[in-house]
Amino acid sequence: MDSQIKQIHQQLVNKQITCTALIQEKLDLLKKNTHNTVNSLLDTLALELAAKVDAKIAHGETIGLLEGIPFGIKDVYMLQGTYATASSDLLKNYKSAYTATAIQKLLDAGAIPLAKENCDSFGHGSSSENTIFGAVKNAINPDLVGGGSSGGSAVNVAKDYTVFSIGGDTGGSVRQPAGYNNIYGLKPTYGRISRYGLMAYASSTDCVGPLAKSIEDIRIVLNTMSGKDAKDQTTYISNAIDEASVLNYEDVKTVGYFKNFIESEAIDAQVKSDFLATLEKIKAKGIEVKALDFFKSDTLVSTYYTLAMAETASNLSRLDGTNYGERIESGSLKETYSVTRSENFSEETKRRIVGGNQVLSQGFSDEIYLKGLALRDQISENFENDFNEVDIILSPVTPSTPPKIGDSLKDPLAMYLSDAYTVGFSLGQLPTLTIPQGTTTGLQISAAKNNDELVLKFANFLKDAI
Amino acid sequence: MSKIMTVDILSSIKGAEPSEAVSKLFDVIKNAHPTNNNSFNNANNNAVSLNDLRDDVIVESSAIEKQIIKENFPNEKNGFLVVSKVIEE
Repeated sequence: MDSQIKQIHQQLVNKQITCTALIQEKLDLLKKNTHNTVNSLLDTLALELAAKVDAKIAHGETIGLLEGIPFGIKDVYMLQGTYATASSDLLKNYKSAYTATAIQKLLDAGAIPLAKENCDSFGHGSSSENTIFGAVKNAINPDLVGGGSSGGSAVNVAKDYTVFSIGGDTGGSVRQPAGYNNIYGLKPTYGRISRYGLMAYASSTDCVGPLAKSIEDIRIVLNTMSGKDAKDQTTYISNAIDEASVLNYEDVKTVGYFKNFIESEAIDAQVKSDFLATLEKIKAKGIEVKALDFFKSDTLVSTYYTLAMAETASNLSRLDGTNYGERIESGSLKETYSVTRSENFSEETKRRIVGGNQVLSQGFSDEIYLKGLALRDQISENFENDFNEVDIILSPVTPSTPPKIGDSLKDPLAMYLSDAYTVGFSLGQLPTLTIPQGTTTGLQISAAKNNDELVLKFANFLKDAI
Repeated sequence: MSKIMTVDILSSIKGAEPSEAVSKLFDVIKNAHPTNNNSFNNANNNAVSLNDLRDDVIVESSAIEKQIIKENFPNEKNGFLVVSKVIEE
């Protein structure tokens, strides 16, 4: 599909549609949708902004490419004056006091936010069932999960309720729901987009990521949000990715894939055969395909979850009902903390906080946490060596198809293991894009750090080649 | 003084106990053999250089920001924000 952003922009400029009518149509769709994608609708704000865009057009003023384009925001981002619930009881009435940098950049470019989108509570989940707003239903088959944790965002894009949405990806939370709903979803290189105003889950892998229906829309939104930000000192200066340059994909000569991902017993037979067929098509285009060695899936998943739980235990320790959140008064201050947290965190969130405190506690940290950090370093080194040999690493997004709603919560270990193909690239902080091609839940394209441009180039190549 | 703290105390979550699913993940790490046990060899070093630190300045919050922070406070009485009983031990 071609750029929806450009198409709508042209329609607005040519006065074929008004921005108000467009925004109202999308708000109506979001309001009556039955996929549980919306935590709160930003109708008043959106219509006010739309009226301003219409006034500009009526006065013959030039409008920017993103001006008037409706988008969705995962409910873990701050947008001043709107609810930011993280789909949790603890923050169900919490209002953002300020606006996230990434979101502010989109607002400055004139994009119009429509909704705060349903997700797994604090990003803790791979199915968007760990939420107080009801499980997100898959866009293609509503009996299945929408994926997670940015499930509401992916389903909104897939159903055309939003033109693009902004998710958050810590271990696969943009890429996996993009795969489950057959759209594009990018986890950029860590640090390319500021995390300021994104509720912290695991700070060392948290990334802001766009979901959209075309590579071009991903590129436009990525460029708008990227850049160094004094409020997130892990950010770095990056160059805008040029439209013409991503259409020239001759730079890719060699593609690698991880042998053990494909030889794993856990992979669905159809996903496996589709993936292998894709590799054959790539070879037929004259690109060399190399099998690479990689860490076992259980090592990847365990390393990721060990570090992510340690970081989330630390990040969520501030949520105690003192300054904000649903405080439940009890006998003493400590009791108040404890009751507030026990009653207001979901089972999955509590499981992760407890796991994190376990690995950080004396006696465990050497044996588990520090070893996890050492493994992470090895994983990163492994990637660095791989990218001396190949330009791109291609992999499936998930070992199998989306589960039925209700199944994931019963078996947390199975849910963790279903992240086997996404978490490694998070630990490596690599740019990775899900494309809706190749297998039933798509393909992931990864490149070396800071090479987000090459990922988009190869996505354009695959769009025509497979 | 050495005091053993259980995970429910560490986590401020009543009755919290280690879970079986998470313990299985930890077992994988316990049994792994990283070739390099030095966990600070910089593969993922996101530390900021001293020359690149942002200025240490106080930024005044806007009126709307202050207003929302007050609205978010869980308890208010006679114009005062009420905290829970302080620790008495």
